[in-house]
Amino acid sequence: MIDKKDVKYVANLAKIKIASGQEAFLEEQFSKIIGYIDKLKELNVEGVEPSRGAHITRDVFREDKVVPSDCREEILKNSPSREGDYFKIPKVVE
Amino acid sequence: MSNFEIVIGLEVHTQLKTKSKIFCSCSTEFKSPPNTNICPVCCGYPGVLPVFNKKVLELAVRVSLALKCETNKSIYFERKNYFYPDLPKDYQISQYKMPLGERGILELPSGKKVNINRVHMEEDAGKLIHKEDCSLVDFNRTGTPLLEIVSEPDIRSPQEAYDYLTYLKLVIQYIGSSDCDMEKGSLRCDANISLRRHGDTKLGTRVELKNMNSFRGVRAALEFEAKRQAKAIESGEKIIQETRLWDVDNLKTVVMRTKEQAHDYRYFPEPDLLDFSVSNELIEGEKALVGELPIERKERFLKEYKINQKEVDIILASPWLANFFEEANKAYPKSQELSNWLLGPFLEQVNALEKGFDSVKISTQKFAQIVRYFSEKKLNNLAAKKVLSLSIATDQDIDGIIEGEGLTQVSGEDQLSLFIEEAIKDNPKPVKEYLEGKEQAIMFLVGQVMKKSRGNANPQVAKDMLKRRIEE
Amino acid sequence: MKDLINTNASQLAEEIRTNKIKKEEVFSFFKSRIKKFDPVLKSFVESYDQPVKGEGESSLSGLPIAIKDNICIKEKKVTCSSKILVNHIAVYNAEVIKRLKNAGLNIIGTTNMDEFAFGSSTENSCYGPTKNPWDITRVVGGSSGGSAAAVAARLVPFALGSDTGGSIRQPACLCGVVGFKPTYGRVSRFGLVAFGSSLDQIGPITTDFVDCANLLNIICGHDDKDSTSAFIDVPDFTKALNGNVKGLRIGIPKEYFSQGLNQEVKNAVEEAKKIFEEKGAEIIEISLPHTEYAVATYYIIASSEASSNLQRFDGVRYGVRAKGESLEDLYTNSRGQGFGDEAKRRIFLGTYSLSSGYYDAYYLKALKARTLIRKDFDQAFKKVDVILTPTSPTTAFKIGEKASDPLSMYLSDIYTISTNLAGLPAVSFPCGFSSEKLPIGVQLIGKEFDEFTLVKLGSAFQSCTDFHKEIPKINYE
Repeated sequence: MIDKKDVKYVANLAKIKIASGQEAFLEEQFSKIIGYIDKLKELNVEGVEPSRGAHITRDVFREDKVVPSDCREEILKNSPSREGDYFKIPKVVE
Repeated sequence: MSNFEIVIGLEVHTQLKTKSKIFCSCSTEFKSPPNTNICPVCCGYPGVLPVFNKKVLELAVRVSLALKCETNKSIYFERKNYFYPDLPKDYQISQYKMPLGERGILELPSGKKVNINRVHMEEDAGKLIHKEDCSLVDFNRTGTPLLEIVSEPDIRSPQEAYDYLTYLKLVIQYIGSSDCDMEKGSLRCDANISLRRHGDTKLGTRVELKNMNSFRGVRAALEFEAKRQAKAIESGEKIIQETRLWDVDNLKTVVMRTKEQAHDYRYFPEPDLLDFSVSNELIEGEKALVGELPIERKERFLKEYKINQKEVDIILASPWLANFFEEANKAYPKSQELSNWLLGPFLEQVNALEKGFDSVKISTQKFAQIVRYFSEKKLNNLAAKKVLSLSIATDQDIDGIIEGEGLTQVSGEDQLSLFIEEAIKDNPKPVKEYLEGKEQAIMFLVGQVMKKSRGNANPQVAKDMLKRRIEE
Repeated sequence: MKDLINTNASQLAEEIRTNKIKKEEVFSFFKSRIKKFDPVLKSFVESYDQPVKGEGESSLSGLPIAIKDNICIKEKKVTCSSKILVNHIAVYNAEVIKRLKNAGLNIIGTTNMDEFAFGSSTENSCYGPTKNPWDITRVVGGSSGGSAAAVAARLVPFALGSDTGGSIRQPACLCGVVGFKPTYGRVSRFGLVAFGSSLDQIGPITTDFVDCANLLNIICGHDDKDSTSAFIDVPDFTKALNGNVKGLRIGIPKEYFSQGLNQEVKNAVEEAKKIFEEKGAEIIEISLPHTEYAVATYYIIASSEASSNLQRFDGVRYGVRAKGESLEDLYTNSRGQGFGDEAKRRIFLGTYSLSSGYYDAYYLKALKARTLIRKDFDQAFKKVDVILTPTSPTTAFKIGEKASDPLSMYLSDIYTISTNLAGLPAVSFPCGFSSEKLPIGVQLIGKEFDEFTLVKLGSAFQSCTDFHKEIPKINYE
């Protein structure tokens, strides 16, 4: 079953900070949902191919042609923090 | 050190040579100002969808074939999920379970065979610029097509790693799939290295090395790491599976992350791009373009053109030069003469040009024409070089230049005899010296003849005539 | 003025064309209804003072249309009713928006939804729940609840929604309107903010099948920008209107009529079945044996895709950035504060299903279950032309009733989910009212790319019933 460690692991992968006091609530609800989807475990899928999509289109290509975008300035304008023509973020330490 | 066998595997990322990005129509131009080659697709805007650039598949298939991989006939992309500010969607579209090519092999000029585990296509990330108090993101490079080439751990020394990279680069450049320019970031390399005692069949714990900026850096990092691991094992330490960065300033490797901190990338099939066929038609087309690999071409050059190995190596080091040489041979099949001129005056002049080979305009026919004129003594050495320098970046008409510059070689004895007589009359001292047995004195007189003929005399003919006349 | 609310969109367009009414008058009529009723209903996120104007001509030109808040309209906000995007301006037009504009339609505004389409009630919106025009203490369904409510209350002639597991059909059902989910690949997803990429589809919400057919004609068709867009010809759906349904075989899957189905809903659906029978259709009982696994399969696949699709909302390039000293803080705060509870639950579920050690047991298993569910339909469609089921097991429930129990909310999509997994077209349309005067809907599921037959049957049904003509009297508190 789901425990605190799972919730923490998943929250870390998903980069979501859980507000203090919300851990128990999330853990409980998450457990319930996992409990429900565990229903799939009873299903025998031996020899069944997975479906990656509803219907599979094939060989949809584009030609190697440059078409410059007309919304560069709008894209930069949407940036929450900008320095010149760059997107600005806190200092990244490798 | 000698107690251990070094086991190395290399992971090379090379940028495929397309005009536009892998999943959108933005330019892949390397030098653009920050955030100019961007659009909603490569910036990971809400609602956008990727559409695959056909050229990427073609160039990738070419590499897969050149590395003799088993090329999968139907492929799909997957998402590699991780958060990083240079990755706009916070996932990278890559290939995982069904790569383009598997189980290939690259035979190095030394005869060493390195097995290729897989080649797969993926999109590149953007660039971070680190400042004092913040980092800045430039998405120009985001979505540039990459081919990842993963070798098996078949490489046994840092030098062999260096040789593998050098030859791999040559092959990829040769077939035209990538520029492989490390400075432009169009070729990058990570390495895995482990040690084991000679005779052991089990692999040791491997360490991943990143952040090497040149082939020499790869070699140096591997040398350092091999020594570090050997020392550690001998002093009873356990090697930890980790990623280490090459610190080029201090010439050592430092820990980046350990396995416990390793990513959980949550790969799953990219639902926005379904399946792609690698058709027989496409494979046959690319096969034709792969042609022969450098190693095969070398053998042919030695046999067909009968020039020495050193010359072949220099010519083949540049696909451009090799192609130029072959074309020139078609126009004038005297390979040795062509090689002499190509590796001598031609390369010398190319090096002086601003953009090297990119500035060369002269056709192979015209180049061959100059060499032929020299051979036929229509031009002397100096004049031929001059004609070459005037035509190399312009492709002007050769006869036109010769006429315009008055460079036709004077080798008829009648025309020369006047200059010979004058030279002997005006310079009694060198004449005397020559008669006394001072051989070099004749060269001074030849120089005088050349001067009088404004450089158009054939020096060999002039020399012979001078000797005859003085000795009479 | 003419009785505009009892006139369908296609008829209104005809009157604009024949100069009986000006399109500006139509616009201001609906605009005034929005002003009057929407403060109570809250079906719109934003209604524009000036419409985003279309240029071309079509059978619907001149009419206003409302767009779910997850479809990009250039230079307008597209927020997916999420705090993390409340400030986000679209920089390009979705393909459907381009098509609507080229058909001369005018966009009147964007409609409320469950955050990122996660939900079946439109309660999971950062703007608060939309209220059901039939009873404002009840939900409208979801996630395209704003669009369904706005059409039901005639605040707009029609609207677009998106459907990942029932998000067009279920709210249409609970609001008493027609909600159509086309075959996967029929309508371009370019510009639709992705939830479950292999499941999402845009579709029309209208008051009747005439409008539905006209709108389908405009939005369906191949698009180069969407690699999953089908290369299949689109018929003229208006040709299906009032067609003969005699001899069509309608399948009734027994699994859809078992436990959990409200009796009044069941009765109304049985009545609908009888109407088709009277019109000459043949009723055949069928089985879709893997139905009981559909909800679990759906939640794994949809949430896995969503967890990846929503990673891009990280506060770096657009949207709301929370304070953070480090990059990690910027990410976790922006996402922790920006996403609502349901979004977090789905992201967690999806991340978990894809994570190392669980991939095979959850994600891969779900893909295999998806194959079995698709095969159920393949088998069924060997025997029948369409499948008839209830759309929702109940009528509209009370606001807040299921808020604390996400699982019971998930189960309200039980009849609509399978069609998304199979990629099939399906439509919900009104077939009755409960004793509390709440709308009841019936669903028809068609073969792949056979929307035509669904329109044919739906319009045949509406030619002899009046449920779709009833308009809610919005009661003020």
